[in-house]
Amino acid sequence: MPTSIIGKRIPKLDAPDKATGRTTYGHDVRLPGMLHGRILYTRHPHARILNIDTSKAEKLPGVRAVLTAADNPQTKFGYGKDNTAFKGDKIRCLADAVAAVAAIDPDIAAEALSLIEVEYEPLPAIFTIADALAEGAPLIHTERRSNRFHTYRYSHGDPDAGEAESDVIVEASYKLPYVSHACMETSVIVAQFDHRGHLTLWSTTQIPFLLQRDLSEALDIPGSQIRIIQTAIGGAFGRGLDIYPYEPIAALMARKTGKPVRLSFSRHEEFMAAPVRQPAEVLVRAGAKGDGRLTFRDVAADLDVGAYISWGAVTPLVMMETAASLYRVPHVRFSADCVYTNNPTTGAVRGYGNPQSTFFIETIMDQLAEALDMDQVDFRLRNANIPNSETPQGLIITSCGLKECLEAVAAAADRGAESEEWGAEITNYQLPITDYQLPITKPHLKRGIGFASTLNVGGGARIYRSDGCGATVKVDDFGHVTVVTGSTEIGQGSETILAQIVAETLGTHLHDITVINSDTDVKPWDVGVHASRTTFIAGNAAYLAAVDARGQIFETAAAMFGVSADNLIAGGGKIKVKDDENRVMSLSKAVRKRHFREDGQVVIGEGWYDPPTKLVDKDTYKGNISAAYGFGSQMAEVEVDTETGHVRVLRLACANDVGRAINPMAVEGQIEGGAQMGLGYALTEEVLVKDGRVLNPDFLDYRLFTSADMPAIETIIVETDDPGGPFGAKGVGEMGGTPTAAAIANAIYDAIGVRLTQLPMTPERVLAALDKKRGKEQTLAKFDSTLTC
Amino acid sequence: MKPFDHYSPKTLPEALDLLAQMNGRARVNAGGTDLMLKMKAGFLQPEAIINIKRLPELKGVTYDETAGLTMGALTTLRDLTRTAVIRDHYPVLAQAAGLMASEQIRSFATVGGNLCNASPSADLAPPLMVLGGTAVIAHQNGVRELSLDDFFLGPGQSALKPGELLKEIHLPPPTGQTVYLKQSPRAYMDIAVVGVAVRLHQVNGRCREARVVLGAVAPIPLRAREAEAVLEENLVDNGRIAQAAQIAADACTPIDDVRGSAWYRQRMVQVLTRRGLTALAAP
Repeated sequence: MPTSIIGKRIPKLDAPDKATGRTTYGHDVRLPGMLHGRILYTRHPHARILNIDTSKAEKLPGVRAVLTAADNPQTKFGYGKDNTAFKGDKIRCLADAVAAVAAIDPDIAAEALSLIEVEYEPLPAIFTIADALAEGAPLIHTERRSNRFHTYRYSHGDPDAGEAESDVIVEASYKLPYVSHACMETSVIVAQFDHRGHLTLWSTTQIPFLLQRDLSEALDIPGSQIRIIQTAIGGAFGRGLDIYPYEPIAALMARKTGKPVRLSFSRHEEFMAAPVRQPAEVLVRAGAKGDGRLTFRDVAADLDVGAYISWGAVTPLVMMETAASLYRVPHVRFSADCVYTNNPTTGAVRGYGNPQSTFFIETIMDQLAEALDMDQVDFRLRNANIPNSETPQGLIITSCGLKECLEAVAAAADRGAESEEWGAEITNYQLPITDYQLPITKPHLKRGIGFASTLNVGGGARIYRSDGCGATVKVDDFGHVTVVTGSTEIGQGSETILAQIVAETLGTHLHDITVINSDTDVKPWDVGVHASRTTFIAGNAAYLAAVDARGQIFETAAAMFGVSADNLIAGGGKIKVKDDENRVMSLSKAVRKRHFREDGQVVIGEGWYDPPTKLVDKDTYKGNISAAYGFGSQMAEVEVDTETGHVRVLRLACANDVGRAINPMAVEGQIEGGAQMGLGYALTEEVLVKDGRVLNPDFLDYRLFTSADMPAIETIIVETDDPGGPFGAKGVGEMGGTPTAAAIANAIYDAIGVRLTQLPMTPERVLAALDKKRGKEQTLAKFDSTLTC
Repeated sequence: MKPFDHYSPKTLPEALDLLAQMNGRARVNAGGTDLMLKMKAGFLQPEAIINIKRLPELKGVTYDETAGLTMGALTTLRDLTRTAVIRDHYPVLAQAAGLMASEQIRSFATVGGNLCNASPSADLAPPLMVLGGTAVIAHQNGVRELSLDDFFLGPGQSALKPGELLKEIHLPPPTGQTVYLKQSPRAYMDIAVVGVAVRLHQVNGRCREARVVLGAVAPIPLRAREAEAVLEENLVDNGRIAQAAQIAADACTPIDDVRGSAWYRQRMVQVLTRRGLTALAAP
C-alpha cells in the first residue's frame, strides 16, 4: 500500500489561486446589465417613520428603481421572526433600511440616496439592558410584551448544597465587548431572476439551504425557485449564519428592475450593519473543596442582543455548556437573559458564546486555585474531564485529551521562551524603535504566565432538527474524482480535508480530486458551516460516499480479475489483488469497463451522515448535542508595562485534542488563526457603541492583531483517535481563540497581581486597574463602554 | 466619489499658477494616502486634484555639515528609513518613519503630506520640530520660510495660504541626541495615542539645549517650552527629568476620544518624556 495521506502536511488546495488572484469572490461577480444597489439607513436608533418621499431620487438619471416598505412584503423573517427587509413604520436600530436604490453605477445610487427625504418622529431609545428591563420601558417590538426575548435557566446537582460544602468561594463580575468578524471581504450579494421567475443569488452565506427557506418566507416565493451559488468566501466566522435584510433587498430590487442587482457593503457599512458578537455582563460565583475538587458554579449573564434576533441570540446554549461541563463540577446553575435594545444587531461569531464563557470560567478557575494555594495546572488536572464519561449536562464524552493538553502547555511553560528578546530582530536601524528597546533600566516591565482550557463541540452540534450533510463521489473514465458535498468552504480548508478523506478511501491521488460545494442546485443538503462541524460531519458523509463508489468499482474489478471484491485493495490510483503483485489495474480502467458496456452504470457513490445526537431538551437544556468533544489548553506568557499598561504577549502555546489531525498544517492554521482572533478579543478589539452608533467603523480604530503584533505561537497537536470521527478526527475550527483571553488575563495577574474582568484589556484599562490597586481611581473615558446595568 | 478635474503639472511654477487660479478649490495630491481616504469617505469633495508627484523641485535630499539637511516635500517615509545621510545624521527620522503605517504605505506617503495634513498626531511633526525644522513654502512670487513651530494652527489646519505649496523642509546640522517615543495599542500600523519627541544636547554634563514636542495631546503638535526651560543650563539628573516630565504633562490639553482618555494621554506624556530624557541623559 502507498503511504497514507491522512496525517500529511498538505497546503490548502485552494491557496495558490487565492494567493495569485485567480479566485472569484462575491465582489468579483459581474453580470450583463447588472445594476448597483445601495441602502438608505435610518438616522435615528428608535423612531417612527412619518413620511418617505422618493420622487427626487426616482428622477435622477441612471436610477432604475427606488424601493421602500410601501411596495414590498412585510413578512417577518430571521431566527426571532422579528425582522423585515424594509422598515415602513418603526425604526429599531441604525442598521434599519428605510429605502434602497438600484442604479447603473454605485455613485449614482449613492447620490440618489441623498435625494430621498424621510420624516421621522424620534422615540425614546434604549441602549442598556437595565433600561430595557426597567418597568414601563418603551417596547422595542410592541407586539411582544417585554424587551426580554428569552431567558435560559439551567441547573444540575444542588448548587446551594454545593456552595455550603465549599471550603473556598470566589466571585467576580465581568463585562464583555462587542466585536466584529472583521472579514476581509465585506458582505456582498448579487441577485438575478430568470424568465420563469426563479431567483439565483451569488452569495457568501454559510447556510445556503436554510437561507433558501428563510428567503422563501421573506420574498414569498417557493424555496424550490431559489438557487444559491456560493462564491469563494473571503472570511465568514459566523457572519453568514443567518438571513439579513440586505439579502431580500437585493432580490426585491432585481425583481422590480428585471435586471441583476449587486449589493456590496463598504467597510463602514459592514461595521454598522453586519452583526457583531453580543456584549454581556456576567456575575460568576464558584467554589471548591480544600482538596481541590470543584463544588459548584453559579453564572448569571445578561446579553444585549440588539434590535433583532439572529441565531447569535442562542449563544447562551454554548455559554451554558462551558459553565456546566468544562471540568467536572457536581453542582451548576446557569441563567442568561437575552434582551432587546436599540443597539446594533448581534449574531454568531466564531466560538459562539464560548470565548465569552471560557473567559469568565477560566479566570474564576485561576482565582479558586489561588484561594486554595494550589498550582494552576495541578488544580485543573484535578478536575479535568475524562474520556468515556457523561457530564451531568448529558454530554457524552468519547475521546478526551484535556489532561494531555494541560500537561503539554505546562511543559511549554517550563521550557521557557526560545528567544527572550522577541522583537529584537525587527529593528534594522540599530537604534531604539520602541521604548521596549530603550537603553534604560526597566523595573516597570513585569512578566507572568497564565493557563486556560476549552471544551468545544467537535462532532457537530444539533441546533436544528437535522445536523446532517450529504455527499456524492463520482469517478469518471479518466479516474478523475468529483466530490460533491453539501458543506461550505469558508477558508477553513474543508476542500482539502474532504479531498484527503476521499483520496485515502478510494486509494487515489489528491491531484485527481475536485471538490464541488457551491451550488444548491447541485449539492445535497447540509445544515451549514458552523460549530466546527465540517471535518467530522461532512468528512463522514464524504467517507461514506467514497466507500460506496469504491464498492461499485471493486464489483467490476473483482469480476475482471475473477476474484472476490474482499480480495481487492486500492492505492496509488490502482486496484490490486491482495498478495498478488502482478494483478494490478488502474482505477480508471475498472470505471471504463463499468461505463462502456450494454447496461453500463455510472460510478457515483452517495453518503449521508447525521450524527447520533439529539436536540437539547427545551426546558432543561440537557442532552448530548454533539457526537464528540474537542479540548484544548493554552499557556500565555506576557510582559506588562506597569507605567503604560501595555501588555505584550511574548508567546502563546496552544495544545489541542483534535482526535486525529487529517492535515496537521491545516490544524495549525486553524489554531493560529483562532489565536489571532483570541488575542484581539483579549487585548485590542472592541466595536465602540454609543447611543446605538458605532464610533470606530474602520480598521484604523477597530484594532485587529496584525502579523507584526503576533507573538510566537507554539502549536501542539494531541491525538486521541475519536471512535466516531472520520479516521478518528474531531473538529478544531473554533477552539484556537476560545481560551486565549483567559490565559492572557491569568498571565497578567501573575505578572502584576491585578485581575482584569473587562475585555479587551487595553493599556488604559490595565493602568486604571493598577491605579485602583494603588488606591487611585481613574475615570475612564465616556467612550469606554455602553453597558451599564 | 464626486467627479473632479485632474491636473499633472510638470514644473513648480506651473503648479503654483494652477493653485492660484483654483484659489482654494483644488486639493494637492502627493502620496494620496490621506487624501484618497477622505475623498472616498465623502469628507472632501474638491473640484480639482493637482498631482504634484512629478515636480522635480520637490524631490531630493541633500546634506551638508554646515548647512544641514534639505529634503523635498515629496520625500517618502520609506526614503526616511533608507536614506544614508538621514540614518547617519538624523536617525530619529528613520526611527519615527519606521513606526508609521506599513512598508507599502511608507512607499507612497510623503513628509510633506504628513505635515500639511496637520493632524495633531502626525508622527513626523514632533521629531522634525525638535530638530529645529523650517518649512520652505513656495508661492507664485517666490518662497517664504517658516519655523515648523509655527506651521500648525489647529487640527487639519496648517499655515499654508491658498496658492501656497510646501516645497521642502530644512533642518540645521544635528546637535545632541534625539528620540521619538510613541504609545499606541499596536506597535505598528497604528496612530499615536501619544507621541513624544525629545532632543537633548549636553556639554560637559550640562544641558546646552533641550527640545520636547508632544503629539496627539493638543490641537497641534505641542512644543513644551516650560519643560525645556527647566532642563536647559542644568544638570539633567533624575530629579530634573521627573520635573520636566511633569511640566510637559501639565502643559498638554488632551481630549477624550475613541483612541484614549484625556487622563491616560496626560499620564503617557509624563511617562514617555521621562523615559526619553532618561535614555538620552545616560552618560
